[in-house]
Amino acid sequence: MAHTFAELVVGGVLFAPFVTYLVAALVLIVVLRPLLHVVGFAKMFSHASVAELSLYVTILSLLVLLF
Amino acid sequence: MVAIVPEQPFTVANIPLSSWSFAIRVWLAMILALFVSFWLQLEAPASAAVTVGILAEPTRGQALDKAGFRLFGTIVGVTASIAITGLFSQARDLILAAFAVWIGICVFVANLLDGYRAYAAVLSGYTVAIIATQQIDTPQHVFESGMARGAAIAVGILSMAVVNTLMYTPDRHPRLMMQLAAFRRRVREYASAAFLGEPGNSTTFLTLLREIVALRPEIASMTLESSSGSVRSVAARSAAVGLVAELQAARILNSGPLDVDDMARDQARAAPERADDAGLPAQRLPELVAGQKRVRDVETEVSAWAARELLRRDDEVRQDLLALRSARWPLRAWRAPLYRSYRTAAGNGVRAALWLAIASIFYVWAGWPAASVSLSFVALITGLGATLPSPRGFTAITLIGTPIAAVLTGILEFIILNGADAFPVLAIAMAPFTVGAAVLMKSQNLLWSSLGRVNLLFIPILLAPSNPQTYNPQTFLFTSLFLVAAASLLLAAQTLIPPVSDDERRMRLLAEARSELQEPAHLNGESPEEATFQDASRIGQFLAAGGAQDSRALAEMLSCFDQSVMLRLCVAKLMPLTDGPLAPLADEARAAIVKRDTPSLRTIAHRLREMVPQKDSIEADAAACLVLTSKILDQCSGVNFSQEAT
Repeated sequence: MAHTFAELVVGGVLFAPFVTYLVAALVLIVVLRPLLHVVGFAKMFSHASVAELSLYVTILSLLVLLF
Repeated sequence: MVAIVPEQPFTVANIPLSSWSFAIRVWLAMILALFVSFWLQLEAPASAAVTVGILAEPTRGQALDKAGFRLFGTIVGVTASIAITGLFSQARDLILAAFAVWIGICVFVANLLDGYRAYAAVLSGYTVAIIATQQIDTPQHVFESGMARGAAIAVGILSMAVVNTLMYTPDRHPRLMMQLAAFRRRVREYASAAFLGEPGNSTTFLTLLREIVALRPEIASMTLESSSGSVRSVAARSAAVGLVAELQAARILNSGPLDVDDMARDQARAAPERADDAGLPAQRLPELVAGQKRVRDVETEVSAWAARELLRRDDEVRQDLLALRSARWPLRAWRAPLYRSYRTAAGNGVRAALWLAIASIFYVWAGWPAASVSLSFVALITGLGATLPSPRGFTAITLIGTPIAAVLTGILEFIILNGADAFPVLAIAMAPFTVGAAVLMKSQNLLWSSLGRVNLLFIPILLAPSNPQTYNPQTFLFTSLFLVAAASLLLAAQTLIPPVSDDERRMRLLAEARSELQEPAHLNGESPEEATFQDASRIGQFLAAGGAQDSRALAEMLSCFDQSVMLRLCVAKLMPLTDGPLAPLADEARAAIVKRDTPSLRTIAHRLREMVPQKDSIEADAAACLVLTSKILDQCSGVNFSQEAT
């Protein structure tokens, strides 16, 4: 069965479902930040920024896949 | 002896490699933003390219911070556009009046903030110009236009963020750590002058104070750098606040004669010298404290207290720097409040509203067909200028920069591209212009750097890349003319009603410092260190308004600073005594502080010392603080008298 995506409607304007996922992934990353700091995420990688971007993409992909 | 030669950065064509990589990043991000906008068929792809031009900041954290504020400012601006259009629809003059008032409010708010917060405030102002004013004849399109702009900005932000991340844009915190450590070393050198018996140099003090305070917005922008960014930002902020407190303690030591006898002086001098780079070990403190056993009279005791205070501050800064290095929370998190001059901000806000009103009247009178575009440029230049020290200077630079940008865009559009419709051609053709402007922007010379920024901003605006590109010479000519007309008109308006002058700004800051000193010393829920930082930021603003040339006002400003810092410190030192048996004495001291009764302060200090003879107690500290306060108050009133006499 094909995966259906819920439309986001703000003031009569339709947004692509992808925007919802982008924002949700961003919110999740913001919530996870203190936890990432506690586990020393930034110290684990030579290029922490690339690692954080990859984490963001992973969360985004998981959201699209699961919800 | 070891000679230290500063490391020379690697250069290509006499331009540092970091500038080249920055410029190439900006170009790549701009091309990516345009590509995505074309692919998504957005209505305003040029806004995405302009967003990249605006977010061209040297470090990742700064770009992300500015991006966040740009998005926030746009949301506020779009909301205000809808509200203004809804309230005054079908009434052109009322819309223009409301728009001028809104710009005034935004400039007022921007003057109360700094860094990217100020930018967000002015952005909310000129977003109304871009959305509501340009759609003045078709109010039903305001919402759609706002959405189109918001989408383009989001694409621009994402492109910049991705390119910055993948291209290893440098982080701000390693350099900030080095800067703060260098400041600490310079503060210690400044303090050591006192131990060597050299007279204090207030120029060194002012330079250090200005440079430390100037770091404030950059410290705030570290938050978004990584998952540890917020912790690092708090540690760096605490270090900066601590450095200002340490600098003030060094100034106290430098200002008064030190009659510490030879032994104590040697020990005090040796302490900072022997300390290794990691800082002053706590075990050395007792050596200095032990030196106090030799001090006999009150003066020496006060000097020893001041030296102890300096060492304590130095140790606090060292701990904050360690916290910054290892990305952990500092022992106590200080805020770094900014001094806000409401009257100057209101003055600037009213002027900005008047400039807009003059421009609107001119455009209504001229009756040009696309005057709304030109008016939105006036708002844009007013807004961007409001975040800079000299708004009129920025307008003048824009007036010089826009014809250059127009010529360059003309060459790009009608000679190089000339009808091309392939995206790779656009990408390659834009490279020299974008990279050139971005390299220029990184120049040390303020004029070149401003011209670079103006070009980076206006070339995408004038080119207005779209899919398909129209290549209409008439549109290009009109847009260029409107842009130049907007800059000229604004310069004329700013000549008619000049912005708040530096003299006026200095006088207001001085008057505010003076009146604040007259009020009883109280701490509005902030620690004395935070309040000292706020006062230091006022001195920073004073110096930015050309305060260094006005020696008399500067002396008075510094005298106000010294007094208010000492009074606050006294109030804080008396606090622990309020609950104990010495409460009546503490109350008396507070009353004497309010009356600026220096003989009483000295008497109370004497009584405190008699009641608690221990040298390293809270009471002894409070007594030394009271004596020092009375001395500074006497010195400052002496200065005032001599000034009045002359």
